[in-house]
Amino acid sequence: MTMNLFNQFLSPTFLGLPLIAIALMAPCLLYPSPAPWWQSNRWTTLQNWFIGSFIKQILSPINTKGHSWALLLATLMVFLITLNTLGLLPYTFTPTTQLSLNMAFAVPLWLATVIMGFRNSPTHALGHLLPEGTPTPLVPTLIIIESISLLIRPLALGVRLTANLTAGHLLIQLVSSAAFSLLLSQTTAASLAVGLLLLLTILEIAVAMIQAYVFVLLLSLYLQENV
Amino acid sequence: MMSRLVILSANSLKGSGPFGAGLVHASRSLHTSSQSRAPVPPLPETGGKVRHGIFPEEIFQLLYPKTGVTGPYMLGTGLITYLLSKELYVINNETLSAICIFSVIIYGVKKFGPSVAAFADKLNEEKLAKAQEVKDLAMSGLTQAIENEKKEQWRVEGRAMLFDAKRNNVAMLLETNYRERLHMVTNEIKRRLDYQIALQHLNRRLEQEHMINWVEKSVIGSITPQQEKESIAKCIADLKMLAKNTQAKATV
Repeated sequence: MTMNLFNQFLSPTFLGLPLIAIALMAPCLLYPSPAPWWQSNRWTTLQNWFIGSFIKQILSPINTKGHSWALLLATLMVFLITLNTLGLLPYTFTPTTQLSLNMAFAVPLWLATVIMGFRNSPTHALGHLLPEGTPTPLVPTLIIIESISLLIRPLALGVRLTANLTAGHLLIQLVSSAAFSLLLSQTTAASLAVGLLLLLTILEIAVAMIQAYVFVLLLSLYLQENV
Repeated sequence: MMSRLVILSANSLKGSGPFGAGLVHASRSLHTSSQSRAPVPPLPETGGKVRHGIFPEEIFQLLYPKTGVTGPYMLGTGLITYLLSKELYVINNETLSAICIFSVIIYGVKKFGPSVAAFADKLNEEKLAKAQEVKDLAMSGLTQAIENEKKEQWRVEGRAMLFDAKRNNVAMLLETNYRERLHMVTNEIKRRLDYQIALQHLNRRLEQEHMINWVEKSVIGSITPQQEKESIAKCIADLKMLAKNTQAKATV
């Protein structure tokens, strides 16, 4: 049973050929490309509106120099939301449940912000390691604590996304298998489980979108600190 | 819906990507089609018709001649039965989660679909309205310019009259000025002449008075006392005679 539960997280292969590339590229087919005519259809308008308002909101606290990250953050957001929400469909593989993928997003981007901060204004970046107004005896301890928290950030980013999605998917599997096995013998309990499954599904949709948003938001915060 | 999406995305990918450009423009470079970029053919207003949200209407039309109205439904039912009976699709826990997620999705689309579509339409309408406003402003500006131009042309016609009136004005001013100066000159000359006349009169009067005074003085000087007495006696005798005459006339 345990083996069965985690099978959904195995990187998909077909006759020995890895399908992970298709799993990562396929979602972009769902989005309309900008058409050469002036007034777009509803999909394109909504897509444009969504990306526009999202970027406007996320980049508002960042100064002009950080606005060059707009394309990266928008792409990241759209990609993560698509992967997360598509993974909720049955028999699909969610790439964002793989820690390797999430770390591959988190570490380079976080490191980029840190290196940018240290390169442009090293004293300001080092100053982040000590909060204002700390009593003098606490200063060494606090610097160590703050640097540990700085170094843990990429780990936290990646693991947060992975853990949330993996936990969600596992819960869905568990509750649905419980409901399924109870379906014929104890139907009332099964209906309760189905109710739970419905609520869980709604939660998972919300979590999928929120986790993607949180990932990008935290990156923008790190950017704001360092730019 | 998904099939429609795939077709749409495939269409959009056709024009993009490394092979896409070649595919689209192959016919154009070989001049096999009479395609030209303008005028652009009109786009369909709405998407393709679908039944039950995912199945395109074309399938129903395709199967209608052979199997009638219920054909596609029978096809669907038969397909599902085949998959289930041959256990090609096994009902397991994922089926339950599939039922849940699809019911949530369908509920969401049915409830929020029209409002989201209206929102997207509103965004498009605003974009169109902005462009329309620019166009309308330009048109009204140009019509205003045409009217102004016509008015200017009408004004030009009356320009000759304006010039005549101005010319008359100026001529009148000049005339008035000339007459004023003429009057002034006349008055000045008259004054000078009057002065000369007055001077002459004065001179003559002075001469006259002087002459009279001289004559009187010489006459009075020439009268001797003897003559004076004689003349006084004569005057008295004349007066007596005159008195006598008048008395006589009075009594008569």
